[in-house]
Order: sequence, then structure tokens, then C-alpha cells
Amino acid sequence: MQKRLSLIISLVIIFIFIPLTLYAGIVLFNDRKYYFISIMIIILASIPFFLSFERRKPQPREILIIAVMSAISVTGRALFVITPGFKPVAAIAAITGFSLGAEAGFLTGAISALVSNMFFGQGPWTPFQMFMWGMIGFIGGLLGRTGIMHKKIPLILFGIFAGILFSFGMDIWGTMSLYGVFSMEAYIVALTSAVPFTIVYAVSNVIFLLILARPIREKLERINNKYGTFQ
Amino acid sequence: MKSFETFHPLVIFAFFAAAIGLSMFFMHPAYLVITIFLAVSLNIALRRGQFFKDWKLYVPLFFLMAIINPLISHNGKLVLFYINYNAITVEAIVYGLSIATMIVSIILWFSCYNETITTDKFIYLFGKISPVFSLTLSISLRLVPRFQQQLHKISNAQKVIGMDYRSGSLLHRIKCTLRIISILITWALDNAIDTADSMKARGYGIGKRTSFSLFIFERRDGIVLLFIMFLLMVNIWASIIGTTTFYFYPTFSIIQWDLKNILFYCSYFLLLAIPIIIEIKGGIEWKLLKSKM
Repeated sequence: MQKRLSLIISLVIIFIFIPLTLYAGIVLFNDRKYYFISIMIIILASIPFFLSFERRKPQPREILIIAVMSAISVTGRALFVITPGFKPVAAIAAITGFSLGAEAGFLTGAISALVSNMFFGQGPWTPFQMFMWGMIGFIGGLLGRTGIMHKKIPLILFGIFAGILFSFGMDIWGTMSLYGVFSMEAYIVALTSAVPFTIVYAVSNVIFLLILARPIREKLERINNKYGTFQ
Repeated sequence: MKSFETFHPLVIFAFFAAAIGLSMFFMHPAYLVITIFLAVSLNIALRRGQFFKDWKLYVPLFFLMAIINPLISHNGKLVLFYINYNAITVEAIVYGLSIATMIVSIILWFSCYNETITTDKFIYLFGKISPVFSLTLSISLRLVPRFQQQLHKISNAQKVIGMDYRSGSLLHRIKCTLRIISILITWALDNAIDTADSMKARGYGIGKRTSFSLFIFERRDGIVLLFIMFLLMVNIWASIIGTTTFYFYPTFSIIQWDLKNILFYCSYFLLLAIPIIIEIKGGIEWKLLKSKM
């Protein structure tokens, strides 16, 4: 019953509230309030993830492991504060996803973004960052189920993909804050001007994934064997 | 002396939600002027010296955004000149300036937000709506400084056994750093299980979780909250009946200066000025108290 209720609420959000917000943006606000609407949609889109976690009543061990993984990625972001874009956050969210599933991956990514912005300053970019990093963790979780992420080549490809995904997502926000409206032309300009950043994201993801994926996976497995946390 | 900070977190959060939400929404020149003026004033009131340091960041950002729009958008009737057969119009320039004003004010609101909504207030607020999420958040937040301390300890211990990450060849340094990180993660995960078991032993998940906080909802909080809600409603009403609508393309719409519109502008000003009014009131009270001593 618990599970079904959260599923219903999620479906209502995805199929009714988000289209309604889009409709309101186009009809009521004359297709001009992209900035506001986009932030609303990002917030709405994140709700189902948090809701299902909330309704599931997770055990303390799950909560603690997600908190630890987020704290590690925040510490990592703080360590690499001088190198813009070169951060281990996406990689750690993805690795958590590989080992512990899509939900844990999403939460690790989103909480890392929120917590690290508590240190570096919140802004209108926070919801976007939370969603993008969360999505990387989520996709990582889905791919982790197939078991191919133990190999090097899928890992490299995933790192590049995650860098591009993050850059594309954040550029939607960037375009809208620079031009107020979303135009394809402006988006392409933003994407091309962000190419160096995209490369840095992708390269840092690949490096961190290659270095960290195996040790962290082994450690999580060890914890799992020792205590039987995530079944 | 910061009086706005001493209000209940709900009041402060409601104010910022209203201010940021409406600022993102209104592109009417009169509203933009009010927004930027009050966002700057609140920044000066709350952050003083810090604000003047940040100016170096805001001004280039402002001009960058203002310049880019006319280069991208060629709509508008008042053509200034042509670059490569593309019209540079007054409308596009003004629109760029307006967007820049809006974004800079939102960033300014957020820097005030960071100053007043501290993490304990944030967790207090969200602990009611989403207890598990805010618990995860607060554990994670607490672990960050703990990990930094532990990193220091581990690296000192490693130094003693000849694995100093600050000396030797690059390969040696990388190897040492990875070792330290690996030790940290193992330690952190094992520790997490300990904490989790201790939480379980103390009855986590059995009853409703209580949490400690020092925030009391007083009468003045209620009054200010009602005031914010009322003014928010008025402004939403204004945007429904179209007072806040302003078109830049194909050419500017007219700014209305009749009584009704001026009253709406005032209501917006009043809403955004709430923290400043509270600050000024607090300042005057403080001066009076001091003069009586």
C-alpha cells in the first residue's frame, strides 16, 4: 500500500503536474517565463525520487551509506576546489549507483550537490545541479544492473557520456539565465562555448571512474558481505 | 546587529521563496527597478563589506549578459545599426539589460539567503516535510568536516611509515594520495555501520523522531508571515490581471502610472522591503536602548 501510494503520487506528478506547468508556461505566461518554469519542472521532477525514498522507510544502514558516499564526494569537491570542473562528484554518484542501485545513485548525486552548495553557496543552479548529478547516479544504477560496468571500456564511455549529459543539462540553465528565453540558436552558442568545460567534465569523470570504481565497489561489497546491508 | 535573522526560519524562508519566485517572474521595468534596488539594499544591510567585494563579479556578469542578447536576438522595431545584415535593436538591448538585472538580483537574493538561512534552519524546516531526507542530509553535512579531520590524521600516520604524499616523485605522491583516500573510504563505511547499528539500538524507526531546535514561533513571526502571505497574494493577483505584464517585442508596451498600478508597485516594494524594514526598526531600537543607558 505504501509503495503504491508513492507510485501514484509520482505518476500524478510526472503525467499531470509537469505537463500542466508546461501548459501554464506556454499559455498563461505567453511562453516567456522559461526561467521560472524550468526551475519548477526540475523541482517537480526530483520529487518522485525523494518521495519513494521517504515512503519506503529505509533502514539506518542505507541512510548512513548514502550519507557517507555523499560526504565523500563533497570532501572530494572541496579538495579539488582550485580546478574548475575537475570534480569527482559525478563519478562517485555513478559508482554508488553501480553498486547500490539507481535510487541510491540518484540520492547520492542530489545530496552531494545540495550539501556541497551549503559550503560553497546556494543559487538558482542548485536544483539543476542536484538533478543532473542525481540523474548520472540514476543512470549508473540502471547500467550497474547489467554488470557491464566492471569492464574498462564501458566505464570510459559512461564517463564521457556523463560529462556531456551534465554539460548539456547545465547549459539549459545557463542559456536561460543569459537570454531569459530558451532558443535553440542560443543553446548551441552556449554548448559550443562550454566545450572546454565539457571536455574537463568528461576527462575528470573518466579519470575518477577508472581510479575509484574498482576500489569503492570492492569496499561496498566487503561491507555488504560483512554486514549484509543492501540485499 | 541583524534582526531579520532572529525571526522564525519559516518566516525567513517564506520571504525568500516569495522574493526569489516573484523576481524570476516579473520583467516589468518598474518591478525590475524595485527588485534590484531592494536586493542591493538588503545585501548591504546583511553582508556589508562582503557585498562590495562581490561587486567585481556582478558588474562584468551584468554587462556580459546585456551585450549577448542583442547579438542573438534581432527582433524589435527600433533599429540602431546593422552588423552583417543583422539588425541591432533598442528592444533587444533593453531586453538584455532587463534579463541581466533579473539574474543579478536573483543571485543577490541567494547571497542574502545563504547569509540568513543557515543549515540548521534548513534542516529544521525540511525535517518536518521530509524527515528521512533531512536526516540523510544532516548526517552527510556533519561527516564532511569529520572526513577532513580524519584525512589529516590518516596522512600524518602514513607520513610516519614513509608514505608522505607531499614528497617524492609524482608517481609516489599519487600512490600515497590514493592510499589515503582508500583508507578513508574503508574507515568511513565501517564507521557508518557502527553509527547505523547504534541508531537502531536506540530505537530508530520505532516512533516519531524528535529533534532539538531553539526556534519558537512567536507572535511577531505570525504577524510578519501573514503580512508576507497577504502581499504575495496581492502580487499574484496583480500578475493575473496583467499589471506586471510588459512586452519588449515587437516594441515596448507602455508603463502605466495610474493609481491602481502605483498601488500594486507599492505592494511589491513593501513585500521585498520587509527584511530591510525589520533591520531598520531593530537598528533604531538598539540606538534608543543605548541612548537610555
